[in-house]
Amino acid sequence: MHGHIYPDPAYHILHQVFQLATDNASTAMCRWTHGRVTLSLDRVDELPLESVATALEVGDELLTMVILTIDGEDNGQLIITFDELNGRRLAASLLHRDVCTEPEWTSLEMSALNETGNILGCAYLGALTHLVSAELVPSPPYFVQDFGASVLEQALMSQALTEDKVLVCRTGFHRDGENLNWNVIFVPGAALREKLESAVSMAE
Amino acid sequence: MGVVTASTGHASLVGMGESVLLRGEDTARSVVGSCIGLVLYHRRAKVAAMSHIVLPEAAGRPGLPGKFADTAIPYMIDQLAKEGAHTSGLVAILAGGARMFGKPGPLQIGETNAAAVTAAIENLGITIRGTSIGGGKGRRLSFDCATGALTVEVAGESPQVL
Repeated sequence: MHGHIYPDPAYHILHQVFQLATDNASTAMCRWTHGRVTLSLDRVDELPLESVATALEVGDELLTMVILTIDGEDNGQLIITFDELNGRRLAASLLHRDVCTEPEWTSLEMSALNETGNILGCAYLGALTHLVSAELVPSPPYFVQDFGASVLEQALMSQALTEDKVLVCRTGFHRDGENLNWNVIFVPGAALREKLESAVSMAE
Repeated sequence: MGVVTASTGHASLVGMGESVLLRGEDTARSVVGSCIGLVLYHRRAKVAAMSHIVLPEAAGRPGLPGKFADTAIPYMIDQLAKEGAHTSGLVAILAGGARMFGKPGPLQIGETNAAAVTAAIENLGITIRGTSIGGGKGRRLSFDCATGALTVEVAGESPQVL
């Protein structure tokens, strides 16, 4: 489902921009997981604020997430979402252990997911840095278990201050060719969104 | 989407900036972080309005009436009045206003949102029946118009009924 309202050329270029970021992240992720996990761009859209959570299928369920924030003027948020089982499977495969069945996540499991976020986030934002000519440095990754929509809401806050439609990008994961219930959601802040859009309009 | 809708026995999902009107057996759900989920409920008329308030004031910014505290509350009151539920019989229940990720910063609007909604409700003389405000985590809200109960869930904690 694509609800974008950009003119087609601009949408096409924005799509290419996020495709490049996704490809960079996919290469890094593939190395990190010994070739098993790759990423593909799912959607780039400008959506009405009230329908973002539904459109991105970030409902009212509890999710395991790793969050990287870009602070400063060109702010933004990169959120990697996992359901409980798949998050634990990834941690177990990275740690070469059996999947943990304790309700509480161990610090080692959290660290494995955070490191995944770090590798993926740096590769993703590195690609965007080239485009906008501004250094996008992510914060240390932050592990959180919360309702997905409440975290997404916070990520949307910068754009919500001035807009009623927000630019979001979602990327999906695949392991050994199968779709996984993991996603990367990238939400640029208002200033970064503007930079992305002007870089796109110059390229048109 | 995004405006008060008349519904009967329906379950609504209230997105950011949306308001819904509920009657009889209607229910509504929402998930909030730094935003505020506000319910205005008229017990005798069994009518309620629920908004997902994002920011304290509109100040000319674009958005649905439910997005801002200073537009959402008058809008909800107006819609409820059309249903015969006048301000004197309303109670308010509010939840949210968290400082998400426990970080400071200009986009941490939770406390300001909570203060703006609370002040506006108090200025109207509406009794605040229950609150679940602050903290560092999101809240899943479920409102049942038949009972007037707002159930608040926080990850890792027992549900609270307001």
